[in-house]
Amino acid sequence: MLKNYFKIAFRNIFMHKAYAAINIVGLAIGMAACLLILQYVNHELSYDQFHVQKDRIYRVTQDRYDNGVLSTQWAAGAYAVGNSFKDAFPEIADYVKMTQAGSVVVKENNNLFKIEQTYFATPSFFTVFSYPLLHGDAATALKEPYHSVISATMAKKIFGTDQVLGKTMLVNNDKLYTISGVMADMPENTHFSTEMLFSYSSFLDLVGPNNTPETAWSWDGCLTYLLLKKGTDPVKLEKKFPALVQAKSGEELKRFNAGVTYHLQPLTDIHLYSNRMMEARANGDGKTTYLMLGIALFIVVIAWINYINLATAKAISRAKEVGIRKVIGSQRKQLIGQFLFESGLLNAMAIILAALIIAVSIPSFNRITGHHLDFSILQKPAFWGSLLLLFLAGTFLSGIYPALVLSGFKPITVLKGKLVNTTQGIILRKSLVVFQFAASLFLLIGTLTVSKQVSYMKKQELGMQVDQVLVIKPPIVARDSTFMNQMTAFKQSLVSQPGISAITASSSIPGEPVMWNAGGIRLLSQDDKAAKQYRVIAIDYDYVPLYGLKLIAGRNFSKEFGTDRKAVIFNQSGIQQLGFQKPAEAIGKQIFFWGDTLSIAGVVSNFHQQSLRDAFEPLILRSAPDVRGYFSVKVAAGNIEPAIKTIQQSWNSFFPGNTFEYFFLDEHFNEQYKADQRFGTVFGIFTWLAIFVACLGLFGLASFTTLQRTKEIGIRKVLGASVVSILNLLYKEFVVLIGIAFLLAVPIGWYANHLWLQGYAFRINLSPLLFLMPLVLILIVAFLTVSLQTIRAALANPITSLRTE
Amino acid sequence: MIKLEHISKWVTTAGLRTFLLKDINLTINEGEFLSIMGPSGSGKSTLLNVIGMLDDANEGEYNFLGQPIHTLKEKQRSQLYKQYIGFVFQAYHLIDELTVYENIETPLLYQDTKSAERKAMVADILDRFNIVGKKDLFPSQLSGGQQQLVGIARALISSPKLILADEPTGNLNSKQGEEIMDLFRKLNEEDGVTIIQVTHSEKNAGYGNRIIHLLDGRIEQPR
Repeated sequence: MLKNYFKIAFRNIFMHKAYAAINIVGLAIGMAACLLILQYVNHELSYDQFHVQKDRIYRVTQDRYDNGVLSTQWAAGAYAVGNSFKDAFPEIADYVKMTQAGSVVVKENNNLFKIEQTYFATPSFFTVFSYPLLHGDAATALKEPYHSVISATMAKKIFGTDQVLGKTMLVNNDKLYTISGVMADMPENTHFSTEMLFSYSSFLDLVGPNNTPETAWSWDGCLTYLLLKKGTDPVKLEKKFPALVQAKSGEELKRFNAGVTYHLQPLTDIHLYSNRMMEARANGDGKTTYLMLGIALFIVVIAWINYINLATAKAISRAKEVGIRKVIGSQRKQLIGQFLFESGLLNAMAIILAALIIAVSIPSFNRITGHHLDFSILQKPAFWGSLLLLFLAGTFLSGIYPALVLSGFKPITVLKGKLVNTTQGIILRKSLVVFQFAASLFLLIGTLTVSKQVSYMKKQELGMQVDQVLVIKPPIVARDSTFMNQMTAFKQSLVSQPGISAITASSSIPGEPVMWNAGGIRLLSQDDKAAKQYRVIAIDYDYVPLYGLKLIAGRNFSKEFGTDRKAVIFNQSGIQQLGFQKPAEAIGKQIFFWGDTLSIAGVVSNFHQQSLRDAFEPLILRSAPDVRGYFSVKVAAGNIEPAIKTIQQSWNSFFPGNTFEYFFLDEHFNEQYKADQRFGTVFGIFTWLAIFVACLGLFGLASFTTLQRTKEIGIRKVLGASVVSILNLLYKEFVVLIGIAFLLAVPIGWYANHLWLQGYAFRINLSPLLFLMPLVLILIVAFLTVSLQTIRAALANPITSLRTE
Repeated sequence: MIKLEHISKWVTTAGLRTFLLKDINLTINEGEFLSIMGPSGSGKSTLLNVIGMLDDANEGEYNFLGQPIHTLKEKQRSQLYKQYIGFVFQAYHLIDELTVYENIETPLLYQDTKSAERKAMVADILDRFNIVGKKDLFPSQLSGGQQQLVGIARALISSPKLILADEPTGNLNSKQGEEIMDLFRKLNEEDGVTIIQVTHSEKNAGYGNRIIHLLDGRIEQPR
């Protein structure tokens, strides 16, 4: 019996090649797109899933309030949290504390190795998380002070082998660390990435006996992870936090009229749903991930609809066969089986083609998405699982309706040739076409909005100049006592050079979050209750002019004012938070800053420290001529190569033992838009694929309806209708369908855009053009698609079409 | 074999009943060769379809081999006619995508006949109808008469007790028509197959051993 179905199906495919091609190509594109996106989505969803105890690990997040208003949200919180919580709550089995050790320089055999993003971590790091340790004891590797665990790759890089247990290394030309463990390289899909860990006890020793992080409730910057005992309800545990916080730091908080709350964030939620201060690395975006999943489904559903539409439109040509089969003894369920088998066959062919498309397009997909898919996905059960699922779902969802329609024909009706298209079927087909176009329009509206928003952000005035600025990463190896002299000499040596117009040092540079957050700041005249939090950048005299910040009141720091170490410049948001409406009012006012009294020397207008995704933050530029941070060098256009050489020579002589690393600030700044741009590109490509598939279906459908109306067209022409009026007749139908689709797509598109744009502090307005342009585009595309069929029909000689009757 | 009592069938348009069949009483015994005649629209095909269980009557009782058909479910009826009835159509109604061999074989597939047995049966009937040489051709490659031969071969493959033929020679020239009618007579006489045919032609009707005339849905003169 299967053999018989197989023959029928194959002969049908061969006889109606165009029809089969439309279906197979459409399904294949839909499946390939869907599978590719699924791989990407799968990767995004896989973050931190490999930790054996992942269901019991939570990160403690911290929210700080000023005067009852949420002020800052932290991934890393106070240092006392981990140990205090563990002591107070028996539900907690263990905790991990980590704090940044920043970039370090290791010297080995007179070679310098710079390692970025290193951490101090408690010994529990390797027992709570499931990062495998290749050499060393997981329980004790990070126990002793000045012990370190490094990654296998880093070990090979520095020492040429990973057999390095017990070796010592000189870090930052300062402390000697013993290597007590070698860990496997961290996988890509974890929210956290480092190649070198130092024991937390080293940190305690380094900060000295006068500083006591273990009891510090207002010293932030410690990542805290809790391992809960089995069966612990995190929600209930979280409710116990406020009482403890009140007991430990209630007095201090009250004095500043401040508040702090702690929350438990599941480990596996961090990558997709967390965007807080001091994240261990830039996280993904759950919204984007699920949006991508939505697009994937849209494309494949559009392809399935093509199948349904074409199969039911073509039903008439299969009706006779159904009638005969019924008369010679087929039951309805056998016919349903036959037609499902056919849809399965087409889907199977489409899957094969989809696999080819995937194989061919993996490199481009990686290039566009910045993703690392390779052919190893073919070895993953998840890939084959989704493939099988897609095949079964496609076969069934697209096959069942046509199968029911076809198998439902009454033999006497079809064998007498009395079958007419039921209005029910026509309405269904039209609704499905409306859905396809509504989906296409929706995607097009979305992709247009994304690209407009990205170009808006890139074109907007930043309020500062980031062009022609070369940034050098901070020197790590340098003695505090001599640093000021080294730095001054370094700057002096460069200012006189040709091609270099200015140089400045600062603790932060534009294009990234300001790492220094200071709370408890208020006007001297106010009491502690009025204190608020501010972002702080330490800068020297040249920062404001080099970056072209606009002073709207007061003056820049200057060596002519002897007391300028005690001066600060606010931005407009900062002044407003301080309580001034007019910038000029703030000039000369004194503020209380961590025990110091500083006076406001100037106010600059707000500038975009970060991308336009982020709002202006209250900012203090603090005078610090000896700041140890980034150097920004303004270079003249066209003279960059020699300038870099000059800078490097100076660097090597003034900061020996430090690697020279630089980048261009405008590129660095635009890196912030990379994810958005990438998303826009991917979105755009898959949108056009969806539209292409939808048009394949429209083409098929147009050819059927045109064929059905051949006789009508013939009669109309005989009666004197012009070609134009015939075309009008044929187009009207599709224009009406697209019109309805548009009415559906606009509110949904508007709402989705509105939601998406909420993520941006500075955003475009949702102008009608964003909706009308897609409509026009779709109309043109649909018009061209339909025209391939209709023009031929309208131009045909009526004699031919009528003679066949 | 077949017993129709007070069979009526109608369609209702704008509240008015138009009778397609009205109070038909008819008994057909095994081994008969019955011809149904009458002008266009007199209800011949409708009657044949009711007998063939492709269509329902609105009223009346229908007994087939002692089974009350009017009380049976779709599935049971389908079982019955699969086993006992073969159809032959004016327009042959072969499946265009299947070869002669496959067309004839298809009813056996629906009866779950074993492969070896199927082959033997199809080979046998191809031989009997002298169309072995054409078994791999598609219907469009055959003449009308040849197609109808295939149609009859397909109707006979599952050895039905009853053959229903709706103007089997309507699309054929007279020579081809005669051959088909001779075949029917032979089947009736030698194999004892009961045959009911609808025809316009007095000559064809003469091949049978009983004729009924329909007019406006009634049997005019049962003989």
